[in-house]
Amino acid sequence: MTRTRHGDAGAGLLFLTPWLLGMLLLTIGPMLASLYLSFTDYNLFDAPEWIGLENYRRMFDDPRYLQSVRVTGGYVALAVPLKMLAALGVALLLNQPRRGQGLYRSAFYAPSLIGASVSLSLVWKSIFSDGAIVDRGLGAIGLHTGGWVGRPQWSLPMLVLLAAWQFGGPMVIFLAGLKQIPAELYEAAAVDGAGPWRRFRAVTLPMLSPVIFFNLLLEIIGAFQVFTSAFVIATGVGGGGGPAGSTLVYTVYLYDKGFSDFRMGYASAMAWMLVLGVGLITALLFRTSRVWVHYAGEKP
Amino acid sequence: MRRFGTALAAAILLAAGLTACGGDDDAGGTVTLRFSWWGNADRAALMQQSIDLFQAANPTIKVTPSFQEFEAYWQKMATETAGGNAPDVLQMDFAYLREYADRNVLLDLKKTDVNVGDLIPAFQGVGEVDGALYGVPTGGNTWCMFYNPALLKDAGVEEPKDGITWDQYHALLDTVSKKGKTYGGSNYRSVIYSFESWLLQQGGRLYTEDGTLGFTRDQLIAYWTVGKQYIDDGRFIPAEKVAQIEPASPIVKDLIATEFRWDNFFARYAGETDAELKIGPVPVITPGATGQYLKPAMLLSASARTDHPEESAKLISFLINDPQVGRIFGSNRGIPATNAQRKAAVLEGPAAAIAAYEEAIAPLLQQAPPAPPKGAGTVEAAFLRIADEISYGRSAVPDAVDAFFAEAEDALAG
Amino acid sequence: MTSGGKAAAKRLLWHAGAILLLVVVLYPVFWMISSSFKDSRSIIGDLDLLPAPPTTRNYATAAEGVGGISVWRLFGNSLLLAVVSVAGTVISSAPAAYAFARVRFRGRGALFALMISTLLLPFHVLIIPQYIVFQRLDLIDTYVPLLVGKFLAVEAFFVFLLVQFMRTLPHELDESATIDGAGHARIFWNIVLPLSRPALITTSIFTFIWTWNDFFGPLIYLSTPDTYPLPLALQLYIDQTEATDYGALIAMSMLALLPVLLFFLVFQRFLIEGVSTSGIKG
Repeated sequence: MTRTRHGDAGAGLLFLTPWLLGMLLLTIGPMLASLYLSFTDYNLFDAPEWIGLENYRRMFDDPRYLQSVRVTGGYVALAVPLKMLAALGVALLLNQPRRGQGLYRSAFYAPSLIGASVSLSLVWKSIFSDGAIVDRGLGAIGLHTGGWVGRPQWSLPMLVLLAAWQFGGPMVIFLAGLKQIPAELYEAAAVDGAGPWRRFRAVTLPMLSPVIFFNLLLEIIGAFQVFTSAFVIATGVGGGGGPAGSTLVYTVYLYDKGFSDFRMGYASAMAWMLVLGVGLITALLFRTSRVWVHYAGEKP
Repeated sequence: MRRFGTALAAAILLAAGLTACGGDDDAGGTVTLRFSWWGNADRAALMQQSIDLFQAANPTIKVTPSFQEFEAYWQKMATETAGGNAPDVLQMDFAYLREYADRNVLLDLKKTDVNVGDLIPAFQGVGEVDGALYGVPTGGNTWCMFYNPALLKDAGVEEPKDGITWDQYHALLDTVSKKGKTYGGSNYRSVIYSFESWLLQQGGRLYTEDGTLGFTRDQLIAYWTVGKQYIDDGRFIPAEKVAQIEPASPIVKDLIATEFRWDNFFARYAGETDAELKIGPVPVITPGATGQYLKPAMLLSASARTDHPEESAKLISFLINDPQVGRIFGSNRGIPATNAQRKAAVLEGPAAAIAAYEEAIAPLLQQAPPAPPKGAGTVEAAFLRIADEISYGRSAVPDAVDAFFAEAEDALAG
Repeated sequence: MTSGGKAAAKRLLWHAGAILLLVVVLYPVFWMISSSFKDSRSIIGDLDLLPAPPTTRNYATAAEGVGGISVWRLFGNSLLLAVVSVAGTVISSAPAAYAFARVRFRGRGALFALMISTLLLPFHVLIIPQYIVFQRLDLIDTYVPLLVGKFLAVEAFFVFLLVQFMRTLPHELDESATIDGAGHARIFWNIVLPLSRPALITTSIFTFIWTWNDFFGPLIYLSTPDTYPLPLALQLYIDQTEATDYGALIAMSMLALLPVLLFFLVFQRFLIEGVSTSGIKG
């Protein structure tokens, strides 16, 4: 160990200067403001009025809030694993030395270029309507679901599939991670007579674990905050929550409360409740990461 | 790395060059007004023409426009207002008037020289709250029925005539759904304005003077029970079929034969279908009492914090009174609100149909109810959402009514 | 079968599989493209993939611009925002990530936890306080509120992403450099930064696309139509009381897709030239 690697506060803070400035000037203030507002009755126009924990207490009596927690839980549980598997699977496929990989990569990424917009929602609804491709395709294999649009039991799966379909983000991160694994490691494993599966288990997975951890954590956090796709696809009948509130995800309800009902105090309390919940999950993940995430740049 | 770095550096230089342009400084003595409205690109073009006229007539006033789509507009407006930075002049919705006015963010236009003398009688006093004038209507609309004559004919049904009763209308729905190629109609009982006209027909009100709900649980239970029945017996189109074509309306996709809407939607629907649509009567309980009134399609308000109240009032006056502006807009802001603009507007196609309809029913119109209370926007959304839960069979009518009253009373109290 | 023939068969199988998968994945994209050539009125409720007959009118309408804003202006605005955001994010996030990943100092853990916690708060409740900050600074209706954060590494996502990659770089690298007398600046610039290229490219691509598609930021901070980027223009095809031109809306979305696609096509090349091919010795 050398001098500079220990307790190098000067260098650390120097490199962190822009980030610290951003934190102090742009992030911390508004965060604390929203924390304060979560203890107030604030309608956007009048001065906020302190009401203590009232907003937090009310959540537990609010059926729509509880509904949004259930819906979001279901969404996270389905969307995160699906999207992760799709991203990792395609990344492994694209990590092989083949002709035209650039084109393949771009083609697989294409869905993720399209932001969740009105145009995309029109397309998504068309595909999942009565008698459209999904309905007919499932019908051909004996699953007669009818169209998925506007049916409460199928609205959330539609949203989940949209998330999984836009797997390009984590895919690119996985690819970048795969590219960073030194070829020497695979060569050494091959010399030891390891087959593809062993190489995957012994080299790829541990070397990729920091990236897997990153994707998993960020996808979970992102899924808990899913907004635009639910907001755009579910507008219309039944307002922001989809048919019978079946896609009333957490942040859509939060947005509704804050900006349509002018209950920004309540919305802020909801936001901080989410911070608590997801923060707990994040902390747990970080704790377990010590066991399964391997950083080549750090001594075990 | 170097290639990437070079690309980045080039990009930053390019960006720096681009940012150099822009910036608007006021010449001496010129007042700049910020003016925001919601609407699409067409309205933006019409507004710009009108603003140009206004600036030509008032060389010392410069208007900087901003426009968004309805939903986005209100989020931006809420944020700007919360920041104390509302535009000087803003387009206002009747449902949100008191939401903003009651929180002292709108200017009392009576304290300015705003010219509202030429408003048609039905609009005199509309936009007032407790004696103060917070918004001036630019145009009006009326609750009405749209129908597709061809689809009715297919089912062997006559077109609805003035004085048609609810029973006759429901029989018509039944016949169309059974004998025609389409459903009779959509679940109008999930829309609060249908409910309001039904209340008004019986001398009732949606909201009381002091801003509470003006009807009983039993009335709503009765109203929604029938709605549920008509979903179940197929008179109304199922909710999922409506969802599949959102944001289009089922009537422009030939899925239903009749629908209730504000009459200014007629221009949109006519533009989205090849089929001929017509505007028809609202069915009644007793002849003559249709419960219809002329509602401001939109209003113009000024911010209480504006530094230029007189100039703002001048812009508002110009936009509602100037005949040329009336001609430019036609029915884009609803059928014009002042006599001068009504005379000047040349209405063709769907706009002419709307105007003719409004003229025909003018004698039946009631005085518009006062601006809905603060929280009305939330109540309107809750009405639709909870009624839909009934359609989906997710809640029984009495439970749904309880849920609605709880939410509505909460919204109106805050 | 010869080993060469076996490899060829394997190659063929790989391409066949990849293409089959692509057909499924790209089906909605085909749908979107073909919708942009359909008659505007028939787009909703149409169950056929292909337009009959195809029309280019939607593109003609889109090319006229929206609400008095020319197409060039819209693309220019979007491009400006996206490019500057990419520059800002890369410039500010990389050093921050280096500090978290490779420099040891007191309070690092706490600061890192603080950074992660900023990821957890939904942005909606920050909109109004942030708006007030920028309003006090008289920066509303400029691009500053949309860009300044990028230069201050406000997006914890990217800092964290770069941290994860930098932590995987073999520690022998900077150890030997330190012995050679290199300070953090040199280690960062000469060793860590070049080796983090895949992550930096990833950061650039994401920043570009997210900025390109961002709707709420521009909606809140921009008022002058001439400054609008594309997402703000797209909503102007929609209206409650006037006919919505779905065709032009989708056509404009397709046009808006081209620059991001191009950006991805160009920059994804840099992704391949990762560590494994540049042959560093551990």
